[in-house]
This record gives sequence, structure tokens and C-alpha cells, in this order.
Amino acid sequence: MKKTLFAAALLWVSVPTFAADLTVYTYDSFVSEWGPGPKLEKAFEAQCQCDIEFIAVEDGVSILNRLRIEKRKTKADVILGIDDALIESARNEGLVQSHNISLTGLKQELNWHDPDFVPFDYGYFAFVYDSRKVKSPVTSLRELIESDASVIYQDPRTSTPGQGLMLWVKSVYGDQANKAWGQLATHTVTVTKGWWEAYSMFLKGDADYVLSYNTSPAYHVVTENKSQYKAAAFSEGHVAQIEVAAITKTSPNKALAQQLLAFLISPQAQTIIATNNWMLPVIDGVELPDVFSQLIMPERIGFSSTQVAKQRKKWLKEWRSSATR
Amino acid sequence: MKIAGWVSLALTVLTTVFAFQGLIGFSNQGPDWALLSDHYFYGILAFSVKQALLSAVCSVVLAWPIARALYYIPGLPARRGFLALCLLCFVMPSLVLITGLVALLGRSGLLSPLIISATGHEWNLYGLNGILIAHIYLNMPFAVRGLYQQLKSIPDSSWKLSVQLKLSRWQRLRIIEWPSLRGTMLVLFGFIFVLCFNSFATVLALGGGPQSTTLEVAIYQALKYDFNIPEALMLAWVQLLIAGGLFLMVSRFGSTGWLSVDTGSHEWKPRPVGWRLRLMKCGYYLVWGILLLPILALLLGFAEGDQLRLEWLPLIKPTLTTLALGVIAASVGMALAYSMLSPIRQFNASGLSRKRLVLEWLATHALVAPAMVISVGMFIFWLPIIDIDQWGIVFVAILNTAMVVPFAVQKLKPRLYQFDAQYGALARSLKLKGWSLWKIEWPFVRSVFLSSYALVLVLSMGDVAIFSIFGTQEWTTLPWLIYGYAGTYRIAEASMASLILLALCALILWLFEKAQSKHA
Repeated sequence: MKKTLFAAALLWVSVPTFAADLTVYTYDSFVSEWGPGPKLEKAFEAQCQCDIEFIAVEDGVSILNRLRIEKRKTKADVILGIDDALIESARNEGLVQSHNISLTGLKQELNWHDPDFVPFDYGYFAFVYDSRKVKSPVTSLRELIESDASVIYQDPRTSTPGQGLMLWVKSVYGDQANKAWGQLATHTVTVTKGWWEAYSMFLKGDADYVLSYNTSPAYHVVTENKSQYKAAAFSEGHVAQIEVAAITKTSPNKALAQQLLAFLISPQAQTIIATNNWMLPVIDGVELPDVFSQLIMPERIGFSSTQVAKQRKKWLKEWRSSATR
Repeated sequence: MKIAGWVSLALTVLTTVFAFQGLIGFSNQGPDWALLSDHYFYGILAFSVKQALLSAVCSVVLAWPIARALYYIPGLPARRGFLALCLLCFVMPSLVLITGLVALLGRSGLLSPLIISATGHEWNLYGLNGILIAHIYLNMPFAVRGLYQQLKSIPDSSWKLSVQLKLSRWQRLRIIEWPSLRGTMLVLFGFIFVLCFNSFATVLALGGGPQSTTLEVAIYQALKYDFNIPEALMLAWVQLLIAGGLFLMVSRFGSTGWLSVDTGSHEWKPRPVGWRLRLMKCGYYLVWGILLLPILALLLGFAEGDQLRLEWLPLIKPTLTTLALGVIAASVGMALAYSMLSPIRQFNASGLSRKRLVLEWLATHALVAPAMVISVGMFIFWLPIIDIDQWGIVFVAILNTAMVVPFAVQKLKPRLYQFDAQYGALARSLKLKGWSLWKIEWPFVRSVFLSSYALVLVLSMGDVAIFSIFGTQEWTTLPWLIYGYAGTYRIAEASMASLILLALCALILWLFEKAQSKHA
């Protein structure tokens, strides 16, 4: 038995690894079997006659952290899955290079002209509720915060939706944000580390509202045939999360990387991403299940990524000192 | 054997040194001293200590009467099953427990209406409530086992003497029971305090916000989004200092109890009668029920899942990977622990207690070192040197091993000390060494060895923290799959995977318990 084990170990170690033509860092759920990754890989490889490899880390923030650690030694040609709030940090640390591809086909509302980053999907942060339980949902952030409805949201220090809410509260309340956090804390059930903890607790019925995305209801309709979950539309507007891709500074395969980024915003890739990652497509005219047309499409508010990069630490401190019960 | 022992110790210590070197070297900065003037820091420090203190005190105090019931009532039904369940609770992956607790005590939990109508107050699981419930659920059963084992080591002669001397019930408790339990209680208290002080997943999931943050969670938060290494280092040193210091103190003052000589015969002890017997039995059944509740809630929640499009096939490979990783970590971990105990035993036998304590601390230091810092530090240290995408799974195995070594040392140590106390002199006088010594040592430690093996095997199978940093797609483990399923709305599949993991743990514990009892 020992011998077999040893032989197996040797065999495993000595299997040669073929370096792919293009290496992409992304986050776990993107490349899981039910995520968009495998389908995108197939479609793109058919088009480019090349081999691409996804390396998955925990989430968008981890992609950036890994790049920070590896610096010039990184294997990544493309990073895929950090969000607009992290753009400035990545740029300032010199981790990416300009993409030089045309962004004319993108949706107007994104108003996107970034020289380094290409958006591939987006969604609005929104509070989701069960319409069988909540008959008259709140219609504004202020109404929610002043209500006594039970709420679950995510920690802004560890999750992007949590950070989204932080920006949301800041843009609606400004200098009064600390009072708003205090008020919200009185009817907060819990603040979770990540999105799934919050969402699964909500699905168990642990709260009236959970912080998620305006696209979440589409998932329930398409895969579970449940239409009771809805996102509440807020009159102040909503903060968006735009997921982006970029070419790393050190990539030796720039041409192929550009081809991948251009592919990401093609109708074929956009359909795959929207229905597997449950976010909105970044171009018009993508064919999608009916339910996508019934989603709330709010007005977009928030801050530029430069402002976020500058103020985030201060706002986090404000949150952690005022969000205590 | 002695050289192997020193090498094992060096390997364990090096892991931690590399990790800190990775972090310090990367940031080129020391700890962030400014944190010491931030009142937020004192808030989390106070909370970390408070919850760990409460968890440890409650676990040990509640365990005491149950351990006594097990000891004093010989005909207690399903005693062996109960002890196995106790172990299962201790090693239950926190993700599984949290799912069960939420189903039971969450806002729409099965028991929540009962609690609200009984107390007349609003009930919220999240916060200190939830953390304490989870910590007590995980650790109280462990304390029951520890105290029960210790009670069993009270020699018959003490009880017989107590009858001859006509000691009252209170005097027996004070003169016989308490002195024999005192040391164990202190060690258990210290052990549970450290576990809870470093608690991560439970506090993250049930903490409910910034007001209930522990140091370990704060380290994670500092490393996670801001990649603020100086702040993480500062928090890590504080944690190491407090948890490590306490642990050292407890092992210094609490270790006497371990040394009681095993008399081997258990024929006579006092029997409770009347209302005392009934009270003890009630307590026993009550705890049985309480421990089963979250598991039952999980089963019910799974049965309610309306879309049973569940596939078993994708679960087979992760299950096997989990098992394989667990077996590697447990086997290597036990071997390391056994060999590093050899120089420690030598110091113990020669009465060099200060040297012994230092080595003991080094052998178990991974218990108090912040796991997050070790994982991230190792990652930063090795990333420029090795292709981690290819070798990641090896690191998962190495760090899992490092994680279980302290548990293995903790479990093996008392039994080996006991062996040395009873047979050490004899072995020396007969000049027994190597194989011949092993031949008499093995039967003596066999049952402890088996139970420790099962414990560390199951413990390492529940890990997700290390996997989240080093894991790779093609070697997905079962706990990681649970995260994956749950992270993409697939709650029913997540509960199914949780149940499989739990069943696997239960099966392993049952098998080892059986193997043990054959020779007991």
C-alpha cells in the first residue's frame, strides 16, 4: 500500500503542466461548474484557437491581493472580477495596463470611458424581500432605515455588497451617516461576512429584507420558478457594482488578452454571463429570459472610484464605531 | 527517536516562523503601534476575552454534573453512544453547526417561538447569545469526556477508604473528587478559552456585527479588504501574547492532575439513589436531546427542500479528497506529535519542568497562533518561490497537519506521562529500548492513540480557512463545496453536502470507537 501511494505521489508531481496561452485570475464562483466560466472558456477557445486557463481565488478582493503579493512575478495575463470600487487601488499600484479596445457598444447608463478596465457585467445593490411576507415594501432608503423592519446586510470590511451599502448610506445621508448607521443597527438582525451567509439566512425567513442585487429575483424565477422574491426600488436611487476585467502590466500576451476583453463584451459572452452570473449585461440588445425585463431598473447614484479610494478608510471607521447596538 | 522529536519540533516552529517572516518581509514594516490608541482595539480585545471567558466557564461548569452522572450511574443507557456524540459535537464543522442552530433558533427557527413566549422578550440568536450557544455546544461535550475520563482514574481504594472513614457526601466531593478533577478542570478551561478566544467561523457567522468582533476576526478583516499587514501583525502579536500566555500558565499549574497513576481496577464506587439518581438521569437525557437538536433541525430543513434535483455523483470526488487529506494530516500529525513528545517526556521524567514547559508550549503553539496569519503568511512567503497553483494542495495538507499537531500532543501527552510514571523506571532498569520498549508502550497507549487519531482526522476534515487560501479547483473538498453551493443560492445541495460530511465524521468516530472498545 505504501509503495502504491508513493508511486501515485510521484506520478502526480511529475505530470508536466502545459502553460496555457492565456492565464486569467478570477473568483471561485465564476468558474464553478454552474458559473459562466466553463461556457465562456469553451466559446472563446473555439474562436481564438488557443488555450486559456482560469485560476480562481476566493473573490474579487483576493484577486487584487494576490496580484499585490506577486507583483511582477504574476502568471496572470488578465484579471477578471474585481469591481469598480477597487479600480483605483489596482491602477495606483501599477498592476494593470491600458486595453486599447473600443468601448462604443456599452450601455449609455454605464458612462464608461476607462482606459484600463473593461466592464463585463453590473448590478444594482438592492434590498430583497419576500412579497408573501412583506405586503407593502419600503420605497426609499430613509424609509427602510427609519422603519423597524428586520434587516440583514454584509460587513463592508469583508464583502462588496457591504461596501456598496456603505457608499449608498454615505451618498444619501452625507454627514449624517453615523446617525443612520446607529438607527439601522436597532433593527439589524445580523451583519454577515459575505453575501451567501446573509442571503441564505434571509431565505430561511430570518429577516424581512436582505442586502443583495436587483437581479436576485431573476434567479428564483428562472431556476426555481418562484416569483415571490422582489427587490425594493428606492426613490433616492441605487449604487451600482460594475465588475471589470483588465490586462496585467506584465502580460506578454497582450494581443490575445485584448481579444479576450473584446470577446467579453460581445453579445455571445454577455448572454452567458448574465444568465450564469445573475448580473446585467453591459451592452444593449442581449437576448435574455423574460424576467430580466421585469427587474427594477433604478437611477444610479454613488461615488467615483477615485473618491472611494480616497475616503474608504475613513468611512469604514465611521461605520464600525456607529453600527454598534 | 530523540532526533526525530527535535526535527518534528523544529518543523512545527518553522512553519510559524516562515509565516511571520512572510508578512513582516512583505510589508517591510513592524506592527502598527497606533492601534494601541484606538478605542476600537480595546473594544474587540475586551469582547474577545469576555466571550472566551464565559464560553469556557459555562462549558466546564455545565459539563461537570453530566460527567458525574456518567461516572456514578453504571447502567446508564446508550452511554457509549453519548460519548461518541460528545466527540462528534466537538469536531462538528462550524458551518454545519451554524446551519443547524439557525434552523433551530434563528428568527424563524423551530424553537424561537417557544423562547419568546417563555421569556416574553424578543429573541435574537446573533450576537453574544449565538456565539455562546455555539461555543458551549462545541466544547461542553468535550469537557464532559475529559472530566469523565479523569473521574474514572480515581482509584477504588480512595472510595473504600472514604467509607471506612465515614466521609459525608460533601466531604467525599471535597476530599476525593475535587482534588482529582481540579487540574483537569483548569486545563480544560484553558484549552476551551484558547479555542474560543481564537474562534473565527462561529464569531463571523453568529457575531452579528462590529460590536462582537474578536481579534481573529479583526485580523481577517484587516488582511482581507485593506491588506493592512501592520494592523494584522499588531493584532496577531496581541493574540499570541494573551492566548499563549494563558495557555502556558494553565499548563504550568494545571498539569498535576494528569499524573495520577492508573490503578486499572474499577469495581467499587458510591451509587447515587433516590432523587439524586433521578436528577442525574434527567440531566443526562436532557443533554442528549439538546445535543441532537441542531442535527435534527438540519435534517428537517433538508427534507423541506422542495427541489430535490440533487446529484450524488459530483460529491464523490470531493468526499474522497476530503478523506485523503484528512488521513494524511492525521497520520503525519500523529507521528509528529508522538515523536516530539519524546524529548518532552525525557525532560518530564528528569524533572526539568521549565524546559518541559517551553517545549510543550512550542509543540502546541499552533493552537494559539492566529490561523489566518499563518495561512496568509505562508502564502506570501512561498508564492514567489513555488508554483502554488500546482503545489497548493500540498500546502493544504501541510497546514492541516500543523493545525492538528497541538490536539494530538494534548491528547497523547497525559497518557504517555502516565506510562512513564508507571513503567518508566522499570523500563530503564530493564534497559528496554526501541522495539522492545514500544511493544509494552503500544498496548498502554493504543486506545488513546486511536481516539486521538479519530479526533484529529475529523477535525482536519472540517477545514475551510486553509483551503480558501491554498485550495485548487481540481482538488475541491467537501466543506469547500458546501461554501460553493451555498454561495450560489443552492441551499438544498449545501444541506445535503453538510449532512454527508456530518455522516462521514460520525462514521469515522464510530469505527474508531468500536476498534477501541474491542481492546478496552
